[in-house]
Amino acid sequence: MLLEIQNLSKVYGVSCGECLDLTGVADDSCICPVCDSVVAMNRVSLSLDGKEVLGIVGESGSGKSTLLQLIYQDQCPDNGRIFYNGFCDRHGVPLNIFEASVSECSVLRNKEMSMIYQNPRMGLNYLFSAGGNIAEKIIGAGERSYEVVRNRVIELMGRLELPTSRVDNYPDTFSGGQQQRIQIAKALSSSPKLLLLDEPTTGLDLSVQAKLLDLIKELQKEMGFAMIIVSHDLGVINHLTDVTMVMKHGCLVEYGLTDQILEDPQQPYTQLLVSSIL
Amino acid sequence: MNESVFAFMDEDAKKEIRRTLLKAVAIPGYTVPFASREMPVARGWGTGGLQITLSLLLKRDCIKVIDQGCDGSVNAVNIRDFIASVSGVKQTFSTREATIIQTRHRIPEHKLAEGQILVFQVPYPEVLTTVEPDTEKQKQMHADSDYSKLWVLLYEDTSQFGDSRISNRYPVEVEDHYVMDPSPIPKYDIPRLNNSPALLLFGAGREKRIYAIPPYTKVEPLKFSDRPFKVETFAGKRCGRCGADNVFLDEVRQGTTSLYFCSDTEYCDSILTEQGDVTGNTESE
Ligand SMILES: Nc1ncnc2c1ncn2[C@@H]1O[C@H](COP(=O)(O)OP(=O)(O)O)[C@@H](O)[C@H]1O
Ligand SMILES: [Mg+2]
Ligand SMILES: [Zn+2]
Repeated sequence: MLLEIQNLSKVYGVSCGECLDLTGVADDSCICPVCDSVVAMNRVSLSLDGKEVLGIVGESGSGKSTLLQLIYQDQCPDNGRIFYNGFCDRHGVPLNIFEASVSECSVLRNKEMSMIYQNPRMGLNYLFSAGGNIAEKIIGAGERSYEVVRNRVIELMGRLELPTSRVDNYPDTFSGGQQQRIQIAKALSSSPKLLLLDEPTTGLDLSVQAKLLDLIKELQKEMGFAMIIVSHDLGVINHLTDVTMVMKHGCLVEYGLTDQILEDPQQPYTQLLVSSIL
Repeated sequence: MNESVFAFMDEDAKKEIRRTLLKAVAIPGYTVPFASREMPVARGWGTGGLQITLSLLLKRDCIKVIDQGCDGSVNAVNIRDFIASVSGVKQTFSTREATIIQTRHRIPEHKLAEGQILVFQVPYPEVLTTVEPDTEKQKQMHADSDYSKLWVLLYEDTSQFGDSRISNRYPVEVEDHYVMDPSPIPKYDIPRLNNSPALLLFGAGREKRIYAIPPYTKVEPLKFSDRPFKVETFAGKRCGRCGADNVFLDEVRQGTTSLYFCSDTEYCDSILTEQGDVTGNTESE
């Protein structure tokens, strides 16, 4: 098991204490009728194996980005625990990542996991060169040799099919698809075991999307990292993932092998989703 | 202002600064906020250093003030005269004789000794401002010892120019944790911060920050393991007055030629004195 998520909840706003019970699929809302708080994540449990590829689908506002941000510690939950394989306290007891200190978590963020945001502006620093952005993560993981950093930057750019001659140029001078590739090169620079992708191809031209998705799939096979990818495009989910979870109003509606979810959905909401999009 | 108070500031103000200094010494390289007071010199003219000096001054102290290595420059003279007039302590040009040395932009050439205090005037105390304008994020980065953004600047300069382009205010890492701005001293002085027997104190009046490097502290410039830290060299050049070739030299242009002189004027004088030439003109540029 690489990742174990237990009973995770996240409420935006000052909770009345009843929000989790008063919202969800049955109530057809994620807004608490008592206190108006937004329940972005409602008691979600989930586990992920190493090298497994998990897809998250669901309508806008269903909590997909929130889940990735919680895993990446960009956000703090109101409830719940996340365990990561090998992440233990000094007695060797598995440590809930939300109970760990910032410095204990830095190894998770700098080495073990990487996040790729939908908008490259979230994931890249536009005041640094393309190479500088990739170097930042390599240096953050502890590397202090210039030659090692430089060679790894160039190797990764080549692997992402970016022009290595432009390594010292700024992200603004690259196309949208290329900026996303820079973000991926940066994310992969620490050889993470878990890659989190939040709608990585949304907003790109269709032909650019297809190529980028093929490359991500190829890299995943080659490097063997596990992946959680958020997409509202069931084609992407079908193409890339082993297992799929369907979300609505912060709740996990259905979870299973991607083939089964797409061909034989059990929940009415999933049936609607699959029939309307495919 | 009460002119009869010893060393200009009242005891409460001095006590507060000394408390800040204790905290700074306890956390080497960490910038500690303090309530910077108005001084009879304009902010940006060494008020941070001046407040530290005044708060530490005892009747038996002997004060030296230099500006870019020079005891005789107008700013140095004004500050030294002021300190002497409000405290009555002895003034000196001699690095060896001084107990407290207030400085802008240089560390004296003569090795400092245990018991001596070097007070730096600091214009910009926050080393992270160039890469992170948000002060909350700066604090978090210091707490996590996360300086990868500074390293990226070093990486980019090395990629494009072969080396860091920083000529002064070169970032240094203190005791393997905090990275700090050493004030605008030349790179030549950076290795001289390491393992110093003297107490090094840093004061930024306008920015209201104090920080410190206690004696015998590890101080290292931020640099890649496979790249050397290069300081200014004056290959083949020597001081036009005393002949020294192992010191930091100032270049003085005269028409088409350049003359070089010790930036540390007192060091220059002391070499001349040793050579028996006491007639040397002490006021080189
Ligand atoms: N920082 C925030 N403050 C308040 N509400 C938020 C915040 N982030 C997300 N939300 C709300 O939480 C819900 C889930 O958001 P999000 O996880 O972004 O959904 P998705 O990625 O599925 O579109 C939405 O209703 C959204 O408006
Ligand atoms: Mg989203
Ligand atoms: Zn000289």
